[in-house]
Amino acid sequence: MVKTVDVVVAGAGNAGLAAAAATAKMGLSTLLVERHNIPGGSASSFRRGRFEFEPSLHELAGYGSPGNPGDVRDIFSDLGVNVEMLEVKDAFRTIVTGPEGYDLVMPVGIENFVYAMEKAVPGSAESTVNFFKLAGDVGRALGYLSSGQPDPAVLQKDHINFMKVANLPAGPVLDALNMPPKAQQIIMTYWPYMGTPRGQFSFVLYSLMVYRYISMSAYIPKNRSHDMSLALEQAIRDHGGEVWYNTEISELLVKDGRCYGVRTRDGSEIHSKQVIANFYPDRAFAGMTPPNETPKQEVKRANARTLGMSGYCVYLGLDKSPEELGIKDYSVFINTTPDSDEQQKGMYTLDNNDFFIMNCLNIDNPGCSPEGTSILWGTQLFAPGVWDQLKPAEYKAVKNRVAKKIITAYERAAGVKISDCIEEISTATPVTFARYLDTPDGSIYGYHGVKWDAMLPRIMGMRGEQWIQGLRFAGGHGARTMGYSSTYINGYQTAQLAAQEIKEGR
Amino acid sequence: MANEVNLNLDPRGFLEIMPQRAAAFEAASEAPLPTDYPVNKLMRAFHPDWQYARIQKIETHGPGAKSFTLVPDESKGTKELAYFSAGQYICVYLAIGASRLLRPYSIRSAPADAPAGKYILTIKRAQDGFASDYILDHWKEGGAVTLTGPEGNFTYEPLRDAKEIVGIAGGSGITPFFSLAAAIAGGAEDCRLTLLYGSRRAEDILLKDELDALARQTDKFKVIHVLSDDPAEGYESGFITADLIKKHTPSGDYSLFLCGPQEMYAYCDAQIAALALPPRRVRHELFGAPSARLTHPNLKDGAFTMKVITRNSEKEAPCAANESLLVALERAGTAVPSRCRSGECGFCHTKLLSGEVFIPSDFDKRRLADVAYNYIHPCVTFPLSDITIEVPGQKEPV
Repeated sequence: MVKTVDVVVAGAGNAGLAAAAATAKMGLSTLLVERHNIPGGSASSFRRGRFEFEPSLHELAGYGSPGNPGDVRDIFSDLGVNVEMLEVKDAFRTIVTGPEGYDLVMPVGIENFVYAMEKAVPGSAESTVNFFKLAGDVGRALGYLSSGQPDPAVLQKDHINFMKVANLPAGPVLDALNMPPKAQQIIMTYWPYMGTPRGQFSFVLYSLMVYRYISMSAYIPKNRSHDMSLALEQAIRDHGGEVWYNTEISELLVKDGRCYGVRTRDGSEIHSKQVIANFYPDRAFAGMTPPNETPKQEVKRANARTLGMSGYCVYLGLDKSPEELGIKDYSVFINTTPDSDEQQKGMYTLDNNDFFIMNCLNIDNPGCSPEGTSILWGTQLFAPGVWDQLKPAEYKAVKNRVAKKIITAYERAAGVKISDCIEEISTATPVTFARYLDTPDGSIYGYHGVKWDAMLPRIMGMRGEQWIQGLRFAGGHGARTMGYSSTYINGYQTAQLAAQEIKEGR
Repeated sequence: MANEVNLNLDPRGFLEIMPQRAAAFEAASEAPLPTDYPVNKLMRAFHPDWQYARIQKIETHGPGAKSFTLVPDESKGTKELAYFSAGQYICVYLAIGASRLLRPYSIRSAPADAPAGKYILTIKRAQDGFASDYILDHWKEGGAVTLTGPEGNFTYEPLRDAKEIVGIAGGSGITPFFSLAAAIAGGAEDCRLTLLYGSRRAEDILLKDELDALARQTDKFKVIHVLSDDPAEGYESGFITADLIKKHTPSGDYSLFLCGPQEMYAYCDAQIAALALPPRRVRHELFGAPSARLTHPNLKDGAFTMKVITRNSEKEAPCAANESLLVALERAGTAVPSRCRSGECGFCHTKLLSGEVFIPSDFDKRRLADVAYNYIHPCVTFPLSDITIEVPGQKEPV
């Protein structure tokens, strides 16, 4: 039996959910299919004993307050998605151990941030102020670029600073701002949220991320990310769309360069005018399209790219409150070296990876666990390949070894004792992400954000790089790159493009 | 003000972006993309969709129990059995008449036996044990069986648990402890296990010789048999009381692990309260769904109709207030994804579109957002009216 709809969205990750909710909202008949039995991918939650853990979201960027809404809040409002969100009070605490070390809590609000930076690094104020001014220029230029075909003359005239930094990683731009090295290290603290260090991380994307976090704070959902995923899923239903779980796509139906639907594992066909794939192009073009309909350009593009980082998390339910433990910070970035390029080197090894983030959910989400308890989780990044050679019989010991290292390093760096009050423990490794996301090698960050594959070149390449009509990709591998807000925005915008084509009868 | 910052950088950098991108694509290989990746392969070694096995050997333990040695069925594509952590279970897929069901059984053998190509399940006849009766009566040597991957959290976790484990087992609740004892003896787990094992009479003790043999292999495992009905020489007798636990508990920190029927939990939990252990030191294995009659104060034996939507299809079937929705779905021949049958694992995650249901609070382990958006776990949900539910499909075995 063939089912026919306007839009099939394959994959209910953040981008898939936002895309399906948007096409349904625009009145297009929409079917979202998902291979897992719940939506969200990483945006989920899980329970152990009396704790409900947040599996992946540290901080949602671009949400903002009702008076100063960001684009993600605007998208949620447009889609009719209502989620109780909480503001994260500080930007971060960063602890670098060792001789060049420091231990700082950085606040939100640009003025506060500049002031705290000046206190930590005397003489840094002007460069930090200029960083945020430049980030503002970048934001305005991106707004101009996304409005349509950019005019080189306008770019020259109105966006000259953007043109100067557009092709540069963060490092050289921070140097050009004459930012003192220590201030550069501090301002680079967020880099692991995208997995690319200062020598490679596109300044455009990095400055935008820092600007959004510091100027409008980060937000977290009170009832974990599962609430955002179910709220989006409900929006799809409310706008007349359908959601099929435990439904896996085995084929993209393509004829004469046009995608006209998908085939599910059980053999049934769904025909549609547009397909939005919330999975990696690497999957699509490794056997999901007929060989004679597999564009050479797609294969080359996928081969040119490197898979992004995967992650490791240890989740802890503790039988003491944050007050009893002496924990005051929601997120602490802990490193043995202040240099992001050095930190990243460790991520290519299993046992010399010293960087991690420790979060205590209760600090900004009080009441998230029963009285007298707390929820902590530690996060590391691992480069593709690091977990490849493990044998099943070694796996439990290895994941516990990594967990123990994080717990011990946290206790030492933060001066907090947690190892004697663990009531629940769980870990997620690249293997876990491979299970729940089905991404190549358990990648959570799409593709590595090298210079020619950062957000800007992806956005600028979007129109020219569609080699199969009617098929669009959305997700962390998509135009906006990885992260919660990026994927929500990417899914929403991809839906607009698909709807536009349907409207124009293309 | 825009462009206020004076930057000594070249704006022509912008113009290089797309040529760089084009050059990177041009230089890339046209070789076919990989169809699989090592981490995804490792994932499937733990979490296969289905495992196909053959019954290599059946051993009978007295009148009411048998052990089944299962080996991979390569003819159906299963080359290796999935690795697991001692204490985990697998589900057996059964087609009995029109019913399609999955039943969880703890793996009794050691984890190290899995890569060597062997799981052992020890299954005991139970009161109203629809599936266990079927297995004991119908499974023959050489027969084919279909299994899920391993699941469950009743495992020793070195960063959480004390190194000294005191186990309390009742009846067929011995199986996860047997696996843990074997893992300790084989060196896969580094902890000590003192097991208090309750049986009715000496001749009812399931796997007694095997347990005694394991205890001879290592001084890290000790078993104390406790007989409730007929006291006998060389055994403890009566129920497993706080005093008995204290008598056999090592000095210092220990974790208490319990596995047995709900009645055993009810009794032992009251005894354990006297030991004043923190919650992190007491862990229970799941042991099935509650009886609605026991937990709902004024439940009527109502008979209702459920409308079941799966993808494009829709059907109606009977359901009743005194039986979980999962059982009603299985009886109706609906292939429902499920695993733990105790409200915890979330495999049967189902959207309640309309109607009233009852979920015993002790078994309600749903996420906060599931409650808000009317998602239920049918394995511990009882209908109080006609209902409409959306059940996700199940990928069927071959």
